[in-house]
Order: sequence, then C-alpha cells, then structure tokens
Amino acid sequence: MLHSEPHLLALYALIVAITMVVQVGAAAKTVGLPYLSSARDAQKPLGTVPERLRRTVDNSVVALALVAPAVLLVETGGVGIPQTVLAMQVFVLARIAFAALYPLGIPYARTAVWAAGFLAILFLYLIALTAPLT
Amino acid sequence: MTAMTPELTALTLAALLQALQYLLYAVPANLELGPGYTMSARDREPSKPLSEKTARLGRALTNHFEGLILFTIACVTITLADKSTAFTAACAYAYLAARVLYIPAYYYGLRPGRSLIWAVGFLATLLMLLAALL
Repeated sequence: MLHSEPHLLALYALIVAITMVVQVGAAAKTVGLPYLSSARDAQKPLGTVPERLRRTVDNSVVALALVAPAVLLVETGGVGIPQTVLAMQVFVLARIAFAALYPLGIPYARTAVWAAGFLAILFLYLIALTAPLT
Repeated sequence: MTAMTPELTALTLAALLQALQYLLYAVPANLELGPGYTMSARDREPSKPLSEKTARLGRALTNHFEGLILFTIACVTITLADKSTAFTAACAYAYLAARVLYIPAYYYGLRPGRSLIWAVGFLATLLMLLAALL
C-alpha cells in the first residue's frame, strides 16, 4: 500500500490531520477548550509549542496543496515510475521529520528536511511534464 | 477516464462553497475597509479593524482552506483507488453539510456548536482517508 503515489498522498493527508489534532490538544493545555471553542474574536497567544505546532500545520497545508496536484498529474498522466514512488516515500518521511523537528525547535535540520520534501515535489512535477499531450 | 464519483461531485460543490465564502467575506470587508485599502499592497494594517462578524467570516474562510485540502485528497484518492462506497459517499455529503453549517455557526459564535460542526467535517474526512488507505 506504500508503493503507489496516491496511497502515500492519502497517508500524508492523514498524518497532517493527526498533526492538527495534536496542535489543538497542545493549545487546549495552554489556553483551554473554552477559548478554542469560542469565536476567538480577541487573539490569544497559544504559547511556544502550540504556536510552533500551528506553524507546522500551516506549512503542512501548503505542502499538501503543492504535492496533491503533482500526484494527480503523475497518476492520471500515466507517467508513474519507481522513482516517483520513491519521491513520495522520501516526501512522506521528510514531512514526518519536519513535524517532529519543528515543535522541538531544532533549527537547520528542520529546514533540511523541508527542502528534501520540496525537492521531491519538484521532481514529481518534472515527471508530470513528460506526460504525452492528448 | 475516471468516472465521476459522488465524492467528486461533493468536492466540486465544496469548492463552489469556498468561492461563495470568499464573496461572503470580501464584500463586507471591502465595505468596511474601503477599496482604497483592500486594493493597496496592504503593507500596513488597516486604520480601522474589521467588524467582529466580518472577521469571523474571514476565519471561517481560512479554516475551510485547511478542511478542503484534506477533503480534496480524500475524494481524489478514493476515486483513483476505486474505493467509492455508499459509506464514503455519505461521508462526503456529511462533510459538505458540516461546512455549510460551519459558516452561520462561526458568524453567530455558537459554542460549542461551531467546534462540534467542525469535528463532524473533520471526522468524515478522516474516515474517507482511512477508506482510501485500507
């Protein structure tokens, strides 16, 4: 199941959803559920780690928005190769590392794994561009 | 060619809902801040903040972007993997209904209604992603 690009995409979407739950859980500890379930008209700082998780989620949503069209293009264009599966495996592993390193506040390594995920996306778009025109 | 599944129909409607949410937010925001500000590069914060209700519509819009990227991937991967069932179709329409109700829930500051409605849409998406993966 981890050998097809769409499956790896669905897996990563699930991981981002779990990250969102972790973020809400961390924020519930600092500002409480009554504030989180309110309309949040006055912005409250969430605290260091929940804010890092917030930025992790924001960054992951951008990553999903970039990777999803690439996977769709590779799949529907019929240009998948073992290397595109490998790129998605690298992407998922890099993004899991990103989600772990960001809340821990580890610099450089976080940027390095972000770049690995980004390069994997670029590779998928390059392959998608080789799809024949119909 | 992949057939149009109920999930893809729900996804199209969800995207149209997002476009509608844009209008729901942009029209009052332009009336309140003035096109002089909204059409500028917005280097500075507006001199007068948005009204409470308009700011809530803005946050409802932002929130739907996150929901929509996960939902898009769920709908597309279910379709590509040929995993569409009555259950996943019901989940897709539950998501759509939840996202429609989320807008008035946010606007009127329903607590904990807004969070519960959000949770319905989120859970429906999770179940769809799991269905795509399993």
